[in-house]
Amino acid sequence: MTPASSLSGPAWRPPWPLAAAAAAAALLALVPAVVSDAFTLQVLLLAIMFGALGACWNLVGGFLGRISFGHGVFVGVGGYATLLLLHHLKLTPLLGIPLGGLLCAAVAWLVGGPTLRLSGHYFAMATIALLQIGLLLMINWEWAGGAVGLEAPLGDRPWMLLFRTKVPYYWIAVGLAFVTYCVTYLLVHSRTGFYWRAINGDEEAACSLGVPAERYKRLAFVLSAALTGVWGGFFAMYVGFIDPESMFSLTMSVQIVLVAILGGVGTLVGPWLGAAVLLPLSEGTRVLWGSSGLGLDLLVFGLAILLVTLFLPGGLVTLWRRRGPAGR
Amino acid sequence: MIEALTAGLFNGLIYAAVAVGLALIWGITDVINFAHGEFLMLGMYAAYWLYTLGRIDPTLSAPLVAVALAFFGFMVYALVIRRLQRGPAMAIILATFGLGLVLRQLAFIFFSPDYRSLPDTLLSGSVSLAGMSLGRPQVVTGLVALAVVAALFVLVYRTRWGHALQAVAEDRQVAALVGIPPDRVNAQVWMLGSAAVGLAGALLTTFFYVFPSVGTVFGLLAFVAVCMGGFGSLPGACIAGIAIGLIEAMTGYLAAPALKTVSVYILFILVLWYRPRGLFGRW
Amino acid sequence: MNKKIIAGLAAGLALAAALPAHAQEKTVRIGALYPLSGALASTGAEIKAAIELAVDIINNPHPELKGIPLAAESGLPRLGGARFKVVFGDTQGKPEVGLADAQRMLDQEKVVALTGAYQSAVTKTASRVAEQRGVPFLNGESSSPDLTERGYKWFFRTTPNDETFVENMMQFLDTIKAVPTARIAVVYENTDFGVNTYKAVEKFAKQYKRQIVANIAYGAGSASVTAEVQKLAAAKPDVAIFASYTSDAMLFVRTMRETQYAPPVLLANDAGFIDSRFVQEVGPQVQGVLTRDVWAGDVAAAKAGLKKINEMYKAKTGKELNGNNARSMQGMLVLADAINRAGSTDPEAIRKALAATDLNDDQIAMPWAGVKFDDKGQNTKGAGLILELRGSSYQTVWPEKYRADKSLPTVPFAWK
Repeated sequence: MTPASSLSGPAWRPPWPLAAAAAAAALLALVPAVVSDAFTLQVLLLAIMFGALGACWNLVGGFLGRISFGHGVFVGVGGYATLLLLHHLKLTPLLGIPLGGLLCAAVAWLVGGPTLRLSGHYFAMATIALLQIGLLLMINWEWAGGAVGLEAPLGDRPWMLLFRTKVPYYWIAVGLAFVTYCVTYLLVHSRTGFYWRAINGDEEAACSLGVPAERYKRLAFVLSAALTGVWGGFFAMYVGFIDPESMFSLTMSVQIVLVAILGGVGTLVGPWLGAAVLLPLSEGTRVLWGSSGLGLDLLVFGLAILLVTLFLPGGLVTLWRRRGPAGR
Repeated sequence: MIEALTAGLFNGLIYAAVAVGLALIWGITDVINFAHGEFLMLGMYAAYWLYTLGRIDPTLSAPLVAVALAFFGFMVYALVIRRLQRGPAMAIILATFGLGLVLRQLAFIFFSPDYRSLPDTLLSGSVSLAGMSLGRPQVVTGLVALAVVAALFVLVYRTRWGHALQAVAEDRQVAALVGIPPDRVNAQVWMLGSAAVGLAGALLTTFFYVFPSVGTVFGLLAFVAVCMGGFGSLPGACIAGIAIGLIEAMTGYLAAPALKTVSVYILFILVLWYRPRGLFGRW
Repeated sequence: MNKKIIAGLAAGLALAAALPAHAQEKTVRIGALYPLSGALASTGAEIKAAIELAVDIINNPHPELKGIPLAAESGLPRLGGARFKVVFGDTQGKPEVGLADAQRMLDQEKVVALTGAYQSAVTKTASRVAEQRGVPFLNGESSSPDLTERGYKWFFRTTPNDETFVENMMQFLDTIKAVPTARIAVVYENTDFGVNTYKAVEKFAKQYKRQIVANIAYGAGSASVTAEVQKLAAAKPDVAIFASYTSDAMLFVRTMRETQYAPPVLLANDAGFIDSRFVQEVGPQVQGVLTRDVWAGDVAAAKAGLKKINEMYKAKTGKELNGNNARSMQGMLVLADAINRAGSTDPEAIRKALAATDLNDDQIAMPWAGVKFDDKGQNTKGAGLILELRGSSYQTVWPEKYRADKSLPTVPFAWK
């Protein structure tokens, strides 16, 4: 951690949260030793993944204050990049996934300029438009599989990230999640994070104090996109099959936002908490009541969301912090 | 080509009909109502049941449905929205999303997932316009949409009450200071917006099928129309809706129907690029 | 699976000790993954009912359905009368949920085989799990040809795929002499189902000396299809082939009728056009529409066993069987028969039994020549039917041997 002078950045604090995150990651990594049930592992993996996606989203949505409903577009770009490289160039996802992340960064860089000029609601809608454009273009792009989608080959080739069981994917997810948390932690507690919070508070005032707002807004967007793209690539390898509907999914994008809001926007821990509650809830209701065919599972899910917002509008994090500035 | 554009025009008017209620609510109370599509769905089911059980044609029951939806909008405002207006903006998004999901699932359970459509109603059949054959329901719905937008425009921009709405939209606290009760105004806006979408839903049943997820079909396009037109502008939403219909038709005719929706979104991004507040946005 | 047999034996011994005269009761559990919520929920619900009917046929004695394996006895005779049980999972129509539920079925519900999932995309991910874990997956109703092109060992499909179906359509078109059938327009939804239909038409059109004059893909669940219909009309095709689900099918019918355009031959690739809701809601307006299907009420009525099955289904749900759900029922019967022949719930044994399946036409509940899988897991003895809508139900017009009403088909097509 770089200690900065009090004029240009926050004071240095001992990184207890990083240690706590490392401990949590270690505990999670041990779970497969005790639990052999692939379904439970999947629920955990999805919770971890959505927690991470929420944390990436948070860089733009929480700390910078711009709500993006189309973050799924980066999941899609990352996922497709990885599988296309694997399919056509036989390139290992160990390289393909980071390349996917870079591609997302490039896309975010290109689109970020005009999009970030937009204020709140317009920005939100523009991100949805980007997602839909991505979806519709991929449906019509035959070379990339079109509407039919792409399947990864089956096999046991660790260097190609193809495994017969799902446990190795789980460990990768835990590792990636830890890295994601560390990145978000370091960013938020650095000067960059400081500038972001300033821009979120009052952009004009921040500019007048010398914060290069344009550059930092774009940086948030690009970083968020890159990380999301990496997770997109991972998800594509995990499921083993991608098609435009599942990779450029509005439902997934909304779920990413939900996870962050539920847990507490603008907090480091919020999205992880939100995912830890939302994913088991949604999978649990589906398993318990989905097969009735009445859609009771989604009803319970919707009611749960409604109730939590009515009684805990600040997110689950507020259960722990009753005092202090909102959302910190 | 003319045929395509005419059909596109009327489609666009239909999108505008759905969007105008959302534009009102979003523009004045600053709430993104994610359940807007589900409000439409409820309006459609109301008209469907009134016809199937009560033999009342949708064209006649449309005002009834509008009133029913107005009450429903009031309930939603009173029970959910009002409690959250003081909290973080995100909470309302989450709440309306949850509400939409709940409504959709309740419709699923009570009305079954089956697709339903009305057989011939008063409006069925074709209309001949300069040698082209158009569906009569679409033409009538489009014209009614125009009328509704015009009426709302007069209401919001030319009456005292409308000025009160705009005042609350601009600055709640100052409006309260000058004696306008923001809470009551918000409730009224929700009622009016819901009535508008209920009317649209009733008319939609004359030519579109009804099922629990029908809200998602029109919902997203309504959001795009409101945003593209600019928040706070009712004519903007209407014009944007028409533009969407026309773009769809032109792309379908000149290129391929598979690309018609993507061109709408590309147009949308372009509009925002050059006019970051939408076509006629006030804020 | 060895654990399961040991557990079963232990339980059996315990039961035998407690109730001396009671036979060993075991259940064979199968996982069924279908869209029970979302846009395809109505089809999913019908399929669920059809599969439950199959389970009833297997578990309870139905001597009136003689010929169909396992119908006459109770349960699975070679497994000691074990009961057959199907556990349903809701895929919500999404591939990743199908993946999750496939795993859940195997790990928590302890199923010995899987079936599903109607949508080809979901079937792909669910069958991947089965293939990775070495568990048989029987697909009864997904028609995408690439499902059997993956080189899988554990995947078996009883339904013919889109290539067979489209070839059937071409053969049917060859029999029409009243109007020309050389120019084809394909209107299809931009999904796996639609695109595969189009590709199959492309492949067989050349072979059967026809040309495609319009390739109209559209986004499923659109708010309006006027642009598509206008494009179709402008192309002036002889035959319009549709690949649409229920909602879009209804919208197309409405739109074409309002713009007063009628293609001379309106031929659908089942899905939405055979949905009972479609027939009920817009049937009267679209009399004379032709569709490919795998099941027809009149063919069923001709065979005593099928008639009875249809009646049982109607008693249960109030609707008739159709191509969507009858195939799922057949798939379940084939799976049960294979498990019975295997005499055990060991996956490899079931797989071998499935590969050795050889049923002929009076042993199955479909109007096919039988069930026999090739080395890719595809049933080679299935075929489609071409039906025409007359009144409130579809009647067979092709193949010739099933055509009862010689005045059909009615071409050219016109709106009522």
